[in-house]
Order: sequence, then C-alpha cells, then structure tokens
Amino acid sequence: MLRLLGLLALLALALVLALSVGARPVTPAVALEALRAYDPTNPDHVTLMAIRLPRLAAGLIAGGALGVAGTIMQVMTRNPLADPGLLGVNSGAAFALLIGATVLGAPDAASVALLTFPGAAMASALVFILGGGLRGDVGPVRLTLAGAALNALLLSLVTAIVLIRQDTLDMFRFWVAGSLTQAASRPLLEMALIAGAGGVFALAVAPQIEALSLGAALSRGLGTKPRRVQAAALVVVTLCTGAAVAVAGPIAFLGLMVPPLARLVAGHALRRELLASALLGAALLLFADTLGRVVMPPAEVRAGIMTALIGGPVFLWVARRLRPGATA
Amino acid sequence: MRGALTLCLLLLAATLAALMLGPVRLSPALLWQGLSSGEGPGALVLGTIRGPRVLTALGAGAVLGLSGALFQALFRNPLAAPDIMGFTAGAGLTIIAAIALGLTLPPPLLAAGGGLVAALLVVLLSQRRGHATPPLTMILVGLGIGFIASALSSFLLTLLPHPQAAEAQRWLTGSLAARDWTHVAQVWLIGAALTALALAQLRRLAALELGEDLAAGLGLRVGRARLALAGTAVLLAAAGVAVAGPVPFIALMSGPLGARLTGAQRLQGRMLSAAGTGALVLVVADLAARAALPGIQLPAGVMTGLLGAPYLLWRLSREMEKGEL
Repeated sequence: MLRLLGLLALLALALVLALSVGARPVTPAVALEALRAYDPTNPDHVTLMAIRLPRLAAGLIAGGALGVAGTIMQVMTRNPLADPGLLGVNSGAAFALLIGATVLGAPDAASVALLTFPGAAMASALVFILGGGLRGDVGPVRLTLAGAALNALLLSLVTAIVLIRQDTLDMFRFWVAGSLTQAASRPLLEMALIAGAGGVFALAVAPQIEALSLGAALSRGLGTKPRRVQAAALVVVTLCTGAAVAVAGPIAFLGLMVPPLARLVAGHALRRELLASALLGAALLLFADTLGRVVMPPAEVRAGIMTALIGGPVFLWVARRLRPGATA
Repeated sequence: MRGALTLCLLLLAATLAALMLGPVRLSPALLWQGLSSGEGPGALVLGTIRGPRVLTALGAGAVLGLSGALFQALFRNPLAAPDIMGFTAGAGLTIIAAIALGLTLPPPLLAAGGGLVAALLVVLLSQRRGHATPPLTMILVGLGIGFIASALSSFLLTLLPHPQAAEAQRWLTGSLAARDWTHVAQVWLIGAALTALALAQLRRLAALELGEDLAAGLGLRVGRARLALAGTAVLLAAAGVAVAGPVPFIALMSGPLGARLTGAQRLQGRMLSAAGTGALVLVVADLAARAALPGIQLPAGVMTGLLGAPYLLWRLSREMEKGEL
C-alpha cells in the first residue's frame, strides 16, 4: 500500500513537472486555474491546454502501455533484455503507420493509426518465432539479435521510402525516435481506450502467464495451454505497443528499464508488477520528455532519444550480468 | 584456386558494371577511350563521377570485410563483427560529434578514435572479476555500446541545422555519394598498411583458433596477441567507416560468404576472400542502390541493410539448429 502511494506520488511529481516546465514556464497555480477556468486570451492557459495537456496525455498512454508490454515480454521470454523497441515491435508498428500514410494516403489520423496494430502483431510474432520462442527457450543473444535484424531491415525499407517520397520526411523524423511533440494531432482518446483494454486483458491473463513462466512442462501440469497463453500475451503486446506507437512513435528502452524497477517495488506477483509497470512507465516517459525540453534550450530533444540515452547504460548493466553461455 | 578465380572475375564484372551503368550509360569502348586518352565522356565518368566512387566502395568494402573476418576468427563466432558489436557505430559517432562541435580533424583519425574507444569499452564492461568472459557476453555488451552510440548520434543530430542534419543522417546510413580521389587515396593507403599488418599476425591468429590453452602451450602470449589482432581489426573497420559511413552488415556477411564462394580453408585464403567479398558486396550494393529507382540515389547502406538483415536472421536460425546460441 505504502509502495503504491509512493508510485502515485512519483507519477504526480512527473505530471506537475511535465505541465509546468518548458520554454514557457507555467506555475502549478496557473495550471490549476487554467483547468478550472480556461481563458483563451491568456498565453499561459493556451500553452497548457493546447500543447502541454495533450503531450501529457500521450506520455501517460505511451509510457504506461510500453511498461506493460515490456513486462509481459520479459516474463514470456524469461529474458531481461526484451523490450518492444529493441525487439522490433515498435518498428513494425511504425512501419505499418508509415506505409498507411504514404501508400494509402492519410484519410484521417485515427484510421491510419489503427494500422499500427497489425504491424505490431506481425513484428512481435516474427521476432518471437525467430528468437526460438516456439521451442520454449529464448536465448537472450538470439532474441536481441533477431530484434536488431528486424529493426535494421525495417529501417532500411523506411529510409528508402522516405528518400523516394520527400513529403514523408517529417514522418521519418517522427518514425526514427519517438516524440510526444505531435501529441495534439494524434487520436489520444481511442488509443487510451485500446491501451487500457490491453492492460486489463494483461491483468486477466496474468495467472496463466505466470504459470507458463515456470516452464512449459510444469505449466501443462497446472492445466495451462502454452500456445494459448502465448497468443494472449501476443494480443497484450500488440494492443499496448500499437497504441503507444500511434500516439508517440517508437520509443525504445522504456520497456527494458521499467520491469526490473517494477519488480523491485511490487515483488514477484505479476498483477502487481503490471500495475507498477504502468505507473512507472508513464512517470519515466514524462520525466524523459521534460528532461528533453530543458537539457539544451531552445532545441528540444525527443523523448525517444532521452529514453535511449538513459536506457542504453541499463542495457549494458543487464547484459553484463547475464551469462549466456553458462545459463543456457 | 578456382574459387579465387571466380571471386576475381565477379569483382571485375561488378566493377565494370558499376562504371558503365548510371544515368549516362557507357560502353566498354568509351570507358577504354577515356582511360587511354583521357578524353571524352569516359574520362569524365572515370575521373570525377563513378571512378572515385567505385574505387572507394572497393576499398571500404574490402577493409570492412577483412575486419569482420578477423573478429569472427578471433572470437570463433560468426556473429562477432564490428557492425554488430558497436565499433562502427562508435566510429560514426565521433565523426558526427566533430561535425556538431565544429572540429576539423581528418575523418580516419576520428573514426579510429571512436572505434577504439568503443572496443575498449566493450572489453572493459564485459569483464567481471573471477569469471572468464564468454564471447556471447561480449557480443551483447557490444550491441549495447552500439545502441548508446546510435542514441548519442541522434542526440547530436538534433543540434545540427536542418540541411546539415539531413546530410549527416545520410552519412550515418552509409553512403558513397560524391566521393573524390582523397577518399580513394585514404582508404586504399590506410587499408593496404593495415592489411599488411593483419596478414603479418595471421600465424598468431591461427594458433589462437586452436583455443587459448593450446595457443599458450605453443608459446604465444595470448592476451597480447588477441589485443593486437583486435586493435588491427578495429582500425580496419574505422578506415572503412571514415570514407563510407557505418555501412551495416558488410563485415558480418563477408567472412562466411567469402569462404563459401572460394572454398578457402586456410586462414590466409579465408581472410583474403573475405576482403574480396566485402568489396564485391559493397560495389554491388551501391550499384543496386543507384539503379533501383531511376532518378533517385539511395544510400548504399539501405541496400546492405536489406541484404544483411535477412542474412543475420538466417544465420541466427542456423546457429539455433546447431544449438550454439
């Protein structure tokens, strides 16, 4: 209980900072006033309602969703290096989005955004199979390299598309490293609902996933069907990652950093871990975004770059501790 | 022997094709006229447009291929390559950093510095007291170093004004557009010196391939020999990155591909065929990138990415069947 309160306090701090810090500082008092009595002639109020609030919402959706997706992926593959970004699931979703926007034309943002889901589904299924998931043992090196290969392949395709269609250059900048700056033009409400559905589904199937993580043989004894649980996990990862990419682009390393922290706070019970992951993911992404705004003004460093800068050393720290040859 | 001949013929054919094909198509006769008399469209193409580009591609591909094969032999693992382990990303990062900070140092020097620092970090960070370092840990740590270097590169890109940022982005993909004779001289001279250095160490590498204990029993100072070989291989990769950018997957693919192409068994043959195959792959990739879409020049790195990523996936599934990963 105390720990939950601590997480909520952390998230509240992230929210306040995300609303008030930036090129135009807004004090929390003014922020409250803008929420209560919005005055369209007050520039502070406009900044808050038109820019910071959508950005905040996007950060909450993407951060929470990526935290949940990362935890599910790490538990399913029993691999502390699993992350929607590193394993290419983000890239798959963003690739589908780019294809939708360029090839099909963009009728409206919400319907194009729906393409992220088939993209994420295909990428996560592919990387899981290529990483050896169907055989039950997903080696960390194999899985990470399969993800790197998938990322490289999709990046090459995207670079080619962007060079052919110069008008997609802005999409590309958004594609390469996720960012919360375009939040106002993203379908926030729809994606919040979908990510929420993914989270609820994750909570529902958590006991089966936990059973499977004990090993295929033992979980069969407990009455779970491995393939069915894998499919359920795939649905969770797809819904969460797709929604995150639709609002913020591909943000890597968040799903890598959040699960170990969540385990630290919540212990080894998957449902509590998932809740903690959602809260921590949202808080961490908002912190990263706020940091990106202040680190070198007037330029703004995209949130995806900030999470990569923070998460890269975390990756190293985890990789050092793994003994791939010894444990496999 | 027949394998080596095949590789040479393929290289010759690819070079000719790369010189002939383009927006202005040239016959071999015109090329020959340009080469012998120094006049006509052939001379222009050879002297300023495609000549330097193709020669740079040959040199950069060769050093990258050799570097990859050296690492693969040293680690006795087909996945150990400077592009997987973050060394090329480190070399690219220093060049981008110099652009962003306004430093004017020669690119080969910058790339060498970045590559060596990345390699040093990989070695230091993958060691743990009281444990032997398995190659797979090194590969994982190298991947992480690569991620950090790429993140820092994108971070620095946000500092650059737009046209410069687009140019730097293109360079980071790996591109051979607009190379001149300085690039050719750089990569060929540095490459030749480093290749000689690498070939001089082949006996030690052969001993290391037998296993560390056996090599030590043969009187080799294992630590020092490994360090010298790895340093040479990093510098080779950096020489390629300095002129062509961090082109992905050439180093990873060339060794195994070359061995298959020439059927070389002995170490020297394998190294030389890796260099030849690297050159072949980069020239063909650059030609394909130029010719794929009329009017648009894709960077060569896009093509090697499209070729190399499926290769890496196939390699992973092979390793999986052998149960080595």
